[in-house]
Amino acid sequence: MLIFIARRLGLMVLTAFVLTFVVFYLTNLPPNLEKLARSEGSVRMSDEAVAQWIIDNGHGGSVLGRYGQWLGVVPGWQNVDEKGVPRGRCFAAGTDPAAAPRYCGVLQGNWGYSTFFRGPVLQNLGEKLAATGWLMLWVMIVMVPTSLVIGVVSGMREGSRTDRVLSTFSIATTATPEYVSGVILVALLASPVTGLSPLLADWGWIDGKVLFQGAASPDKITFWSFTLPVLTIALYGIGYIARMTRASMTEVMTAQYIRTARLKGVSFGQVVMKHALRNALIAPFTVIMLQFPWLLNGVVIVETLFNYKGFGWTLVQAAGNNDINLLLGCSVVAVFVVLVTQLISDIGYVFLNPRIRLS
Amino acid sequence: MTNFNGAAGLHPAATMHAEEYRAGKLSRREFLTRSTALGVSAAAAYGLIGLSAPAQAQEAKVGGIVRCAMEVKGTKDPRLADWPQIANVYRGWLEYLIQYNADGTFEGRLLESWEANADATQYTLKVRPGITWNNGDPFTADDVVRNFARWADGNVEGNAMASRFPGLVDAATKTLRDGAVVKVDDMTVQLNMSESDVAVVPNLADYPAAVVHSSFVDGEDPSANPIGTGPYVPQEVAVGQKAVLVRAPNHTWWGGTAPLDEIHYIDFGTDPSTMVALAGSDEIDCNYETTGDFIEQMDALGWQKKEVVTAATIVVRMNSATSDLYKDKAVRQAIQLAVDPKVVLELGYNNLGTTAENHHACPVHPEYAQLPPQTIDPSKLAPALEAAGLTGAEFEVISLDDGFEAATTAAVVAQLKDAGLNVKHTVMPGSTFWNDWQKYPFSSTTWNHRPLAVQNMSLAYTSTGSWNETGMANAEFDAAMTQALALADADARREVAAKLQAILQDEGYIIQPYWRSLFAHVKEGFNVERHPSNEHQHYKWSVA
Repeated sequence: MLIFIARRLGLMVLTAFVLTFVVFYLTNLPPNLEKLARSEGSVRMSDEAVAQWIIDNGHGGSVLGRYGQWLGVVPGWQNVDEKGVPRGRCFAAGTDPAAAPRYCGVLQGNWGYSTFFRGPVLQNLGEKLAATGWLMLWVMIVMVPTSLVIGVVSGMREGSRTDRVLSTFSIATTATPEYVSGVILVALLASPVTGLSPLLADWGWIDGKVLFQGAASPDKITFWSFTLPVLTIALYGIGYIARMTRASMTEVMTAQYIRTARLKGVSFGQVVMKHALRNALIAPFTVIMLQFPWLLNGVVIVETLFNYKGFGWTLVQAAGNNDINLLLGCSVVAVFVVLVTQLISDIGYVFLNPRIRLS
Repeated sequence: MTNFNGAAGLHPAATMHAEEYRAGKLSRREFLTRSTALGVSAAAAYGLIGLSAPAQAQEAKVGGIVRCAMEVKGTKDPRLADWPQIANVYRGWLEYLIQYNADGTFEGRLLESWEANADATQYTLKVRPGITWNNGDPFTADDVVRNFARWADGNVEGNAMASRFPGLVDAATKTLRDGAVVKVDDMTVQLNMSESDVAVVPNLADYPAAVVHSSFVDGEDPSANPIGTGPYVPQEVAVGQKAVLVRAPNHTWWGGTAPLDEIHYIDFGTDPSTMVALAGSDEIDCNYETTGDFIEQMDALGWQKKEVVTAATIVVRMNSATSDLYKDKAVRQAIQLAVDPKVVLELGYNNLGTTAENHHACPVHPEYAQLPPQTIDPSKLAPALEAAGLTGAEFEVISLDDGFEAATTAAVVAQLKDAGLNVKHTVMPGSTFWNDWQKYPFSSTTWNHRPLAVQNMSLAYTSTGSWNETGMANAEFDAAMTQALALADADARREVAAKLQAILQDEGYIIQPYWRSLFAHVKEGFNVERHPSNEHQHYKWSVA
């Protein structure tokens, strides 16, 4: 078991290594650095000034060397700009370079400075992850029970009318990507000029102008503002997990030991609850854990759509503004989330299914 | 220098303008712009034409918060600022020597008054007494002189103020000329220009001209150490998220008490539909701007519509410096004349403005000259292309991916297609579009309102203009511009302006289809002004 976990962690470090290098290489392509110089300096800078800016701010030299600086295995850059102010990776402009440490990369706990947020990456990324954490938590709270109930109920009696209705619903929601369902939900429920809200407001059923809010903020998490973003992400997952649960449930329900239990006179409710459920939930458990990476994917769309300032929004802004350090930070977080959920899923599997042994 | 302390102490040209106004040669707005630019106070200017200055609305209630939807782009050194939104945040604590009011007048803020001599080569600036910085330092003539040195420094890349004071700069060192800005006494500064310049006053009122404290480190973020003269300080500036201005603690603002306690800027991204959603769910009280179809939607919410007619515009321009396709003047002219401005105004901007004449001078500008109308003729495009050997060549027009910029560009492209041009429309998100806006071979750019026509023209179409996006380098135009910038009298300047307009139109670089009326919406119960240059003069805002 320990060897297994160690191997997984090693894989995680290796993946993070490869991914961050790819991201680093792409964000450090010369046109991207020019773009960064223009947004940081001024759009009116001349080409010579842009080239100078790139060198002054430590983006000169080989890509490998700079990647090493970010990692903390190569000493941080330092130089003196045209005004004679010493600048460097490891100290604030104008302070004494001699007092600063030689190495200051991720290994030393320094995730760098975000040009977009104008602050340290670690702190800002932490805040945004917390915001996304709340969104994910509510998505899970809505998605997991709803999908399991739908899956179990439709899988109990395969082919019944309930099964057909619920399956249709699941297929419809899972076939609708977030960027479609989000827009439909906003138009239907959160627009003061279209959909249901103006009608409801006319009838006097709602106080404000909209039923639900079309934008969410991490400062103020309310039922009103959170319903639509949570629903948008959850709907997609609900259909998917419900379909998996249904498949697993129908399979279990046809197993010999269920028939035996039924023949022995155990009531249908008892059979479902006591005999079928645990075995039927093994497959959905993996699927739910697999949903975490999908959620990261979903929050990028949903946070941008609902203007919720979390991890997904940060990723979009970091990419849009070519914020190198922030993008690298986001990549590490993404790798971590994906592999840790996979690890949990594999370990949880062992506990749910005694037939499986790790290592 | 003329002595203005005569009968009324007024600039002689002001009396002349008053006569022109009475003779119907000037509109009220033009009269106010010109006479106040000469140092006549707004009240005296109104008096000259026999009107009383509009009284300030009755004492506004003190207290309250206004939440405004606007992109929060972070703050940067004011002279490097490239967006009015950036300035609207630092306006809370940084003030201006002179302010351009929404009614077209200029008002002294940190200056009590200013005077120009008859040929606009010498300006005397009187500092307003009793102003202190929010750290307790008094505001004096030294601060004014120091800021002029900052603005005039042409060695700083991206300094938007550098090209604005040609008469004060030493061309060799690209810095302030010795003796150009002289401190006469603690409260008086004299500008000795090497050439006459009419745009000094409007330039001092433009958004990069915010006055900073002596402790300000050039190039740094002004919100880090917000020492200013204004009534507010920033509590939080989170890029892309929000900015909060609160009253400056332990600071007595020279202007009395600003009504609002706090101003919150909320960044909703660039999608206007999110802004409508925020308005509908009572998350904001006003917005920076309402455009296109969203005007009707915001009206439907029962918000007050604020409209201001401006010289703000969109220019779909070709660039001969970055593409060989546009080197031939005949081709440019044919492309320009293949586009009917009326159609573009209707399709691209819902008729929320007036058509323009492809020369970037607007009837609201004092020096605007009427040119003979152009003949729109799409059928001439194909022969012109053939003559230049460009038949079948691929053209590409680049624009933002959203809003009226995209719609307007699409309308232009559609007409060019109808005229037989092999052209495609490429859209880009704002985050990438603006990185190279000056370099695209053929693209659309929005231009803000500026009080004088020569201001935009000198920035955009002279060969040395810092925002030249067309590659236009016409010696005749440059010479005429130098001449125009020396004529304080707008009537005299109009003759030169007619020449400038004619050259610009004839060069064919720009398709400038319409002038925009600008709109914003404000919730009932809030007093927020719509300004033609998108300036947020916070002290005028209040909650009813």
